[in-house]
Amino acid sequence: MQRKKTKLNWIDALVVLSIAIFVIVIVRRVESVLNYTWDWSKIVPFFIYVDRETGEWTKNLMIEGLLMTMRLAVYGIVASAIIGVVMGLCRISSNLFLRMVARSYVELVRNTPPLVFIFIFYFFLSTQLMPVLGIEELARSDSPTVQWLIRILCGDPVLFSNFISGLVCLSIFEGAYITEIVRAGVQSIPRGQWEAGKAVGLSGFDVMRSVILPQAVNRIAPPLANQFITLIKDSSIVSLISIQELTFMAVEVGVSTSRIFEIWILTAAMYFVICYACVLFFNWLERRAARARR
Amino acid sequence: MPKVLRKYWRLSQRSRTFATIQYLLFMGILVWTVVHGANQMGYQWQWYNIPDLFVKEFRGEYYVGRLTKGLWVTLQLTFWCVGLTLLVGLITALLRMSNSISGKALATGYLEVVRNTPLLVQLYLFYFVFSPILGIDRFWTGVVCLTFYEGSFVAEIIRSGIQSVDRGQWEAGDAVGLKKGDIYRYIVIPQAIPIMLPPLTGQIINLVKHSAIVSVIAVADLTTEGRNVIADTFMSFEVWFTVAGIYLAITLSLSIFVHWLERRAAFSR
Amino acid sequence: MQKPIIKLRGVCKLFGQFQALYDVSFDVKLGERVVVCGPSGSGKSTMIRCINRLEEHDSGEITVDGIELTEDMENILSVRREVGMVFQQFNLFPHLTVLENLVLAPMRARKLSRTEAEKTAMEYLERVRIPDQASKYPAQLSGGQQQRVAIARSLCMKPKIMLFDEPTSALDPEMIKEVLDVMIELARDGMTMIVVTHEMGFAKTVADTMVFMDHGRIVEVAPPSTFFTSPKSDRTQLFLSQILSH
Repeated sequence: MQRKKTKLNWIDALVVLSIAIFVIVIVRRVESVLNYTWDWSKIVPFFIYVDRETGEWTKNLMIEGLLMTMRLAVYGIVASAIIGVVMGLCRISSNLFLRMVARSYVELVRNTPPLVFIFIFYFFLSTQLMPVLGIEELARSDSPTVQWLIRILCGDPVLFSNFISGLVCLSIFEGAYITEIVRAGVQSIPRGQWEAGKAVGLSGFDVMRSVILPQAVNRIAPPLANQFITLIKDSSIVSLISIQELTFMAVEVGVSTSRIFEIWILTAAMYFVICYACVLFFNWLERRAARARR
Repeated sequence: MPKVLRKYWRLSQRSRTFATIQYLLFMGILVWTVVHGANQMGYQWQWYNIPDLFVKEFRGEYYVGRLTKGLWVTLQLTFWCVGLTLLVGLITALLRMSNSISGKALATGYLEVVRNTPLLVQLYLFYFVFSPILGIDRFWTGVVCLTFYEGSFVAEIIRSGIQSVDRGQWEAGDAVGLKKGDIYRYIVIPQAIPIMLPPLTGQIINLVKHSAIVSVIAVADLTTEGRNVIADTFMSFEVWFTVAGIYLAITLSLSIFVHWLERRAAFSR
Repeated sequence: MQKPIIKLRGVCKLFGQFQALYDVSFDVKLGERVVVCGPSGSGKSTMIRCINRLEEHDSGEITVDGIELTEDMENILSVRREVGMVFQQFNLFPHLTVLENLVLAPMRARKLSRTEAEKTAMEYLERVRIPDQASKYPAQLSGGQQQRVAIARSLCMKPKIMLFDEPTSALDPEMIKEVLDVMIELARDGMTMIVVTHEMGFAKTVADTMVFMDHGRIVEVAPPSTFFTSPKSDRTQLFLSQILSH
């Protein structure tokens, strides 16, 4: 691509003018019509406050929510990557039955709205699957080690089964997208690699493990990193099934303080900072990997 | 691998019928598990009530059912969004490719903000912050928010569509003495449109799917109506499966359309 | 009369509607050097790819070293371990170094230890005259070097038979000789070889038997002395006149 020289011209005048008009209209409406007074200080205690009894700084709802979002994202990407790899390999298997199953899974998940999927699946999960798995019992277990582990890894044990169902919903949902990433990655390896692997006498499994997958990983990694960011964003949807992550907490705080403008602007900013930081980090990693390959 | 397993594998590779039978069995077991589980909980299946949600007959007269009403709102929402999204996408793409500093900055800023915040949070932001400020109702809040969100994807589709036209075409246009606007209009855009059409249709599919989120702010779309019916009748499974089925029907038929477009584009090249 | 190590009987192969091989019958004896030529699309590549079952034949019978190629995966694997193959596009594994390319199959399929496998690998790298490139990645080598690595990779499995599928077609002219030299040397050592190539000079030097194919059939089988001077079939004559004229 040729690099065009950027310069100020009539487009800039137009853009600046429309932004200025937009801002003026908003400010006027907020001040005169809605009579809204900004008060950011009321929000702060919902992030961090000084405990009256202990006198220590303690994290509050918003930080708890943020932690929950990060847990969902990190565990979610691991779980959905596992689902994605298994289903992705089914998707390209020579076994037609496996191909049909994987295809149905992907098409079903990708063609229903995320919201509808989460509602259906959560309903199914909470009424049928969770009791069978005995998650509730585990959360109510008396063993201090179990309680401690749950607290460290998943937050409040009271909400453990709730957390698990949110996580499962999210992982199965994202898994469908990762399935396609894995399939595309493996299929992007030229046929000649398969043939050469077979011709030197490797079994199908060995060709996959030693020749195809190591090459596919390089092509899968960037879209997978991207999917991680998508997962952070999509995790906000599970607030609708009462998983207490960042968005859920923002709704709560908004209702209880009525500092609605501040809390939503701040929440959006928090998501933006996290996601954008991930983007920069992954870009940096990719550039470094590209340099190492040279 | 034991011999039986290997035989089985071979058969699944070779025989369509065998694989299909397995698949049907597998799906059958899955459905049976769900139904059985629901029955265990004492769930009352009321599939016979579902047709009423589409068209209701009352004393010889026909009334539009609740799901049909919801579907109509979803389609309206989609219609307005598609139009506005194309506009926003086109403007953003042009600004990004322009040589103006503030135009580029605005477009890039917009794309980054949309890409790095969740749709749901954007919706809350629009619903709680912008719509009271600007005084717009729920439906239009939903339209504006979805437009804002999808517009970022459409902008990238349009930009890459235009840039995928070979640079030689620009040079040829310059060489025969066309003006920039004319090169766009007569040479670049006609070539870019067949390239952009399949991903744009794909984006409409996404729009239909994402539109379900407006049920959070109680716009009376298909999902909202579904949730309301469930609240009234407790037919969770029936209604959710019906709602998902309707979305599936819309999105799958659109994706068949995309495949057809792509095939046609591949042939004409 | 020596028993043939490769035996094809009435082999047919279809790609959809297109008949790639039509009733091909053909024997190769141990130590024999066969050069297969013919116009493109004549089924040469398909035939040798059937011998290690990269393509499955639809009917007929292929026996390699006493093992008949059927759906039995164990048989196919043991045949592939006896038969080396060199591709037109080299098909080296780009994520592995030259040495790793060479030791992968001996370690995985023959269960050799790493030291053993590396020792053999270095021997063969000496033979193809690039031992100093062992730690490089394929992308850092020239095309001719890559193809020689590919030959060494096949040899590391100590195959009884080597198949060459147009090994010099993807190479720049100045690199063709270095690859052909390696192949000539291999032929002198008594390797059983089937080579699909358009290099007629090479064919004259090493071939015991020339095979000419056209439209999926074997048209002519003859020793090079008679094949080049007095071909029986018109089509062979036409082909040779086209290919030898420049």
